Amino acid sequence: MPSSNEKMFKNRRAFMLSMATLLLAPSNALSQSQITTTIRFGLTPVFLNDDIQLLTVIKNYLESATGYTIELTTRRTYQEVTSLLVSGQLDAAWICGYPFVKFQNELEILAVPEWNGKPLYQSYLITKSDRKASKLADLKGDIHAFSDPDSNSGYLVTKALLQENGLSSDAFFKKALFTYSHRNVIRAVASGLVQSGSVDGYVWEVMREFDPGLVASTKIVRKSAWFGFPPIAVSKRFAQTEQVSALRRAFLASRETESGRAMLDYLRLSGFVDAKPSLYDSVKRNIDRLGGLL
Amino acid sequence: MRPLRRFGKLSSALRVPLMVMLLMTVVSIVLSERVLTRLSQNQEAYLSGLAGSYLNSIAASVSPSVLRQDSWEIFDVLLRMKPQRAAIQPRETVITDVRGVILASDKPNIHPTLEQMDAEFRLEFAEGDMRLDAVSQLAFASRPISHNQEVIGKAYVVFDASSLLEERREVLLTLLLTNALLTILLAVIGFFVVRRMVLPMQILENHLQKAASGGLEAISDSEFPRAGSEAKRIFGAFNHLVSAEKDKEELVDRLTKEERLATLGRIASGMAHEINNPLGGLLNVTDTLKKHGHKKKVRLEGIELIKRGLLGIRDVVQAALVTYRPERSSRVFTFKDLADISLLLRPDLKSRAQELKILSSPSIKVFDGLPAGPVRQAIMNLVLNASSASPNGTEIVLSINQTKEALYLEVKDAGEGLPDAAGEILTAPIKSGIPDGMSGLGLWVVRQIADELGATLSAKPNNPKGTIIAMIIPRRPLEVLHAAA
Repeated sequence: MPSSNEKMFKNRRAFMLSMATLLLAPSNALSQSQITTTIRFGLTPVFLNDDIQLLTVIKNYLESATGYTIELTTRRTYQEVTSLLVSGQLDAAWICGYPFVKFQNELEILAVPEWNGKPLYQSYLITKSDRKASKLADLKGDIHAFSDPDSNSGYLVTKALLQENGLSSDAFFKKALFTYSHRNVIRAVASGLVQSGSVDGYVWEVMREFDPGLVASTKIVRKSAWFGFPPIAVSKRFAQTEQVSALRRAFLASRETESGRAMLDYLRLSGFVDAKPSLYDSVKRNIDRLGGLL
Repeated sequence: MRPLRRFGKLSSALRVPLMVMLLMTVVSIVLSERVLTRLSQNQEAYLSGLAGSYLNSIAASVSPSVLRQDSWEIFDVLLRMKPQRAAIQPRETVITDVRGVILASDKPNIHPTLEQMDAEFRLEFAEGDMRLDAVSQLAFASRPISHNQEVIGKAYVVFDASSLLEERREVLLTLLLTNALLTILLAVIGFFVVRRMVLPMQILENHLQKAASGGLEAISDSEFPRAGSEAKRIFGAFNHLVSAEKDKEELVDRLTKEERLATLGRIASGMAHEINNPLGGLLNVTDTLKKHGHKKKVRLEGIELIKRGLLGIRDVVQAALVTYRPERSSRVFTFKDLADISLLLRPDLKSRAQELKILSSPSIKVFDGLPAGPVRQAIMNLVLNASSASPNGTEIVLSINQTKEALYLEVKDAGEGLPDAAGEILTAPIKSGIPDGMSGLGLWVVRQIADELGATLSAKPNNPKGTIIAMIIPRRPLEVLHAAA
C-alpha cells in the first residue's frame, strides 16, 4: 500500500504545505503581533499524545517556566503538525527527525530531548512475543504496521533497511498499513491484527513501564542504529520571538526545577539539550538512499 | 384407563377437590408457557434491536475505512465501539470486503486479517435475521456495509447471549416455583373449601347408601350443617323421608305378623279338619270300649286306636305350634320340618285336589346351618303361593338340594305364570314397599325372610306351564344361628 500511495502522499504533502504557507502566513504575522501572551506548542503522535495527564504535566511546566499561556495542539498525523509549524500557526512543535530533515530550510532546532543521557533513540522491528522470528527475513509475507509515513523510526528506518537488502516493502510484506501512532503499532502487533510493526524504540521501552501487559505480547526482532531523538523545532521565521526564547530556556533548564523534573520523570527523559542539525545526518542519509521511493 | 376408572370410583368429596387441583395445575402450566413464550419473543426482539443498532453504528463508523481498506482504522473503531456494560456483549465482530476477505476483526487471532472468512463461521449467520443459538448461548447477526447505495463489505457480529438466556432460565425457575407454590397453596385451599362444600352431600350419600343396604337412618343433629340453609333443607327432607319410611316399615311388620296369623288361620282350619277325622274315630272307639270294654282284645285294639289318633292330633298341634312361634325355636331345619310342612299344607292342598311332591336329593342326610323357623315359613309361603296359582288337580313340586355353601330350594307350579309385580317383589334389587292390597303379601314375606337370611330369589317360567321360583339360602355356622336366635 505505501508504495502505491507513496507518490500520492508526497504530492499531497507538498501541496498542503505550499497552500498552508501561502494562505496562512499573512494572518499568522498578524496573530503574532496580536497574541503575545500565548505560546502555541504542537505535539506529534511521535509521543504518547493520547495521554491527557502527560499533556497536563507538559503544559503546567512550560506555563510556569515561561510565564506564557501554553496552547497545546495535537493532530492525528505528523504531516498535519509539521504543516502547522512550517506555516507559522504553531510557535514550536515536538516533531520527528524525518520531517525536520525534510523541512530543514524552514525549521530550526529549539531543543533535543535526552534519553538515558543521550539525545539518541532507535527504531525497533517488533512481532508477537510467541512467534519464532529473530531477523528481518523472518517477517517476510507479514501484514506490517508502520506508524506514520513521516516517521523516522516508524517508517523510514524499515524502508531504508529493506532497500539496503534490495527489497521493497510492497514485495516483502503482504500488506503494510499505517496506525498513525507508535502506541497503535504496538497494539496492532499485540492483538494479532498485523504480524509485525516498526516502532519508536523509546516509546516501546517507556510503554513497557506504562502498559506492561500490552508490550509483553510483543518482542523485538531487530534494533536499528542510533538516530537523533525527535527534536523540538521552530519555524525559522519566528525563531527570534520572545515566546520562542522563553520556550527554549524552559526546555534547557527543565532539570533545574521541580515541575521540570516531574515532566522529565513522566517522559522518562533525562533532559533537553541544544543540538546541531548534524545530529540528524543519519536520517538524511536514509532519505537520500531511498531517494524517489518516498 | 384403570387410573381413570379408579378416579371415578372415588367419592365426590375427594373427586371434586382433586379436579379443582388438576384444573388449577393445568391453568398454571398454560400461564407459565404463555409467559415464557412472550418473554422469549420479547428477549429476541430486544436482542435483535440491540444487534441491529450495534451493527448499524459499526457499519456507519467503519464504512469510510472499509472503502479505503484500512484494517487498522476498522480495528480501532471496533475496539472503541465495544460496549462495556451492555446486557449482551458482542463477542466477535468481523468486517469483510465484498469478496468475504476479512479486513479486520476485534479477534484477529481467530479471524486473521486479509484471510478469506471461514465458511463454517459464515454459515452460522442467517440471511437478514438474527439467529439465537440456545446451545452455544450465542446470537449471530450480520448486515451489509454500503457506501452511496453500493455494498462495499459486510459486518458480522457474534453476541454473547448467555446473560439473556440466564435471565430466561431464572424467570422460568421463578415462574415455576411461584406457580408451583401458588398452585399447591390454592389447590390445598380449594381442596378443603370444596370438600367442605360437598361434605353435606357426602353425608347424604352415606345415608342413602346405608338405606339402600337396609340400614335406613335419620341424619343426626350433630351431622347437620351449622350454616347453609340449602343443605339443611335437604337433610330435613331426607329425615322426613326416613321417618315416613320407618312408619311404613312398622306397618309392614304389623302386616307381616297379620299375614302369618292369616296363614295360621288357613292352616288351623285345615288342622281342625285333620283333628276332626281322628276325633270321630276316637269317639267311635270310646263307644266301642264302653260296650265291649270288658273284652281284652277289643280293649287293647281300642287303646291302640286311641293312641294312634292322639298321636296324629299331637303331630298336627306340634306342627302348628312350631309354625306359629318360630322364634322360640332356635333349632336347625330338619327333615322333620319338611314332614311338618307336608302335614300342615295337606288340608289346604286337598281342598284343591292338589298334591305336594317333595324331591329331596338322596345325598342329603341332614340340613346344617339353616334356621328352622324362617325356612319353614318361606317354604310354606312359596308352596301356598304355588297352590293358589295352580289349577285344581295339579301337582306342586318342591325340590331340595344342598351343597357345602347353600341350600337350593325350587318350587314348581302349573299356574298361568308369575305376574310381573309379584316377580318384582321377589327379585327387585331394592325391596319394594308393601304390595297393594293383600295379594302377593305371602311372597313379600318370603322376600323379607330371604333378605334376613341373605338368600337370593329368582323366578323363571316352568315347562310347559307355570313358574319355578328358586331360593338359594347360604348356610351359616351354628353359633351364628344360635346367636341370631
